[in-house]
Amino acid sequence: MSKRPGGQLATRPLHFIWIADCSGSMQTDGKIQALNMAIREAIPHMQKVASENPNAQVLVRAVKFSTGAQWHISQPTAVEDFKWVDLQADGVTDMGQALSLVAEQLKIPPMTDRALPPVLVLISDGQPTDSYERGLTEMLDQPWGKKAVRIAIAIGEDADHDVLQKFIAHPEIKPLQANNPESLVKYIKWVSTAVLKSASSPASQAAADTPIANVPVPTVPTAADDDNDITANDVW
Amino acid sequence: MGNTLQWRTIGESVRGASHIRVGMPNQDAIRWWPESGLGPPLVLAVSDGHGSAKSFRSDIGSQLAVEKTVWVIIQDLLEGQPDPSNLSAIKRTAEERLPQELVWRWQEAVKAHLDEHPFSDEELKSLEESKGAQGRLAVERNPYLAYGATILSVLVTETFILYIQLGDGDILTVSEDGKVSRPLERDARLIANETTSLCMKEAWHDIQLRFQTLYGIPPALILLSTDGYANSFVNETAFRKVGSDILNVLKTDGLQTVKDNLPAWLNEASEAGSGDDITLGLVFQTQIPGTEKSSPHQEEESTPEDERVEDSEEISADEQPAEAPEQEPQPAESEPTPGTPPPLSLRNLQHKETGAPEPMKTWEESSS
Repeated sequence: MSKRPGGQLATRPLHFIWIADCSGSMQTDGKIQALNMAIREAIPHMQKVASENPNAQVLVRAVKFSTGAQWHISQPTAVEDFKWVDLQADGVTDMGQALSLVAEQLKIPPMTDRALPPVLVLISDGQPTDSYERGLTEMLDQPWGKKAVRIAIAIGEDADHDVLQKFIAHPEIKPLQANNPESLVKYIKWVSTAVLKSASSPASQAAADTPIANVPVPTVPTAADDDNDITANDVW
Repeated sequence: MGNTLQWRTIGESVRGASHIRVGMPNQDAIRWWPESGLGPPLVLAVSDGHGSAKSFRSDIGSQLAVEKTVWVIIQDLLEGQPDPSNLSAIKRTAEERLPQELVWRWQEAVKAHLDEHPFSDEELKSLEESKGAQGRLAVERNPYLAYGATILSVLVTETFILYIQLGDGDILTVSEDGKVSRPLERDARLIANETTSLCMKEAWHDIQLRFQTLYGIPPALILLSTDGYANSFVNETAFRKVGSDILNVLKTDGLQTVKDNLPAWLNEASEAGSGDDITLGLVFQTQIPGTEKSSPHQEEESTPEDERVEDSEEISADEQPAEAPEQEPQPAESEPTPGTPPPLSLRNLQHKETGAPEPMKTWEESSS
């Protein structure tokens, strides 16, 4: 066969970014430990889903925010090589700074226009202590910020749903309420598998067809202990 | 104009690796005219049907798109022109009439297909399971959505080249020395698998056209591809290299080698790249060494003057070349007389009383 024309072939990158609240309140009632455990447990499931779509290259990283924000795992890491590094909790809730960091990474470049829609997962147990609107605006001003699949998980009853809803910026997608470690594990697994799968194989569609979300968000797993139904298992 | 450049088109469409995995059909389509692939005149069209669950008949939509695009171009720009040398009138028809005509003809074809083959309960049930009641409602309100597709096309005549694009996908031109260009600007909105489409309301507003008169250096090769191809390369540079590489293969190994290898090249790209359906159409001068080997056309010696067309990157269709060689034939482009309508195609005759473009019909209006 004659040599194939063109340069290097490559599968399409899918950036998956955890945006984790590491404020001091995450120390109480084992929230940060539960989050670390939930993400750690989800990784093999994430790797399995990614392996089922060889035409998507899932790249994972994490940003943390407390007093200030910084990349916890800065390099986009192939999911098959991804290892979770435990988060520590301390400080306030500078969520806006975290969103600014994400916004920088959603610019083109470093992003490429051939990428698959990124998945951004915001996890928080409280209210922002900085001007989160600025970071949110910076993020949503980026083409890939608008097109990203944005999921938010509220830990405990003190989480600010209004802020998380603004992050999601989609009327039909609501923040997921985790009131105990079991529900947190369930949601983390869901976003690591069902959402990842949906984002990694999006079908082309007419732009006017979906003015807001370009990736169908799968059905959220039901949890008897979520929403407003307080049960004996709820610890947060 | 003296000797005429001879052109040829070939193409291939392959089912995407991911489509094979999940049992989806190839939703791309390709068509050219004349069937011999030899011109001028020569029309090539490729289309990418949307993979969204709402566009569950997009494989038919893309077939209708290439069929109707080729037909409209022949009718409006070739047969519908009383004076083929009046490039100004042709350009005006292309810019003012063609976009609406393309959309409208596609819609008519979709409607005819739907009249013969109404949505089945199974199709609607499947849609509702996938997209919910709202998804079903969206398609019932706008049935064109079920057939949604893009369109890319090129018309090559003795005197001009016309590039047309609606939605994602890529048109590249390659000069004789291997320089690769884009005759149309990339639409920055088209990321994350979202695309403008024939099924959108007033879709003609998003159609890009580029009219090039033949008085610069003509491209040696023109490539039209659905977005699955560019998305299979690590970056733009790697993708553009396709253009110069294929030109080299044409020159060194000949047309037959390209034809023989095209399916394998596209399959490899889909498997190792995007996983999407890939369609690639090529239009090239038969004067390229190697391409005559399998061309039944008798090649004629052409003078450099004959091979001059407008440079695709630096001069727009509305501009005169800054430094046109004195011996070059001047374009037969004259300023249109104010108030003089462009030549009317058969379709346009319906609107000649008002002189206004036919407004987009809603589904309900066109059904009545």
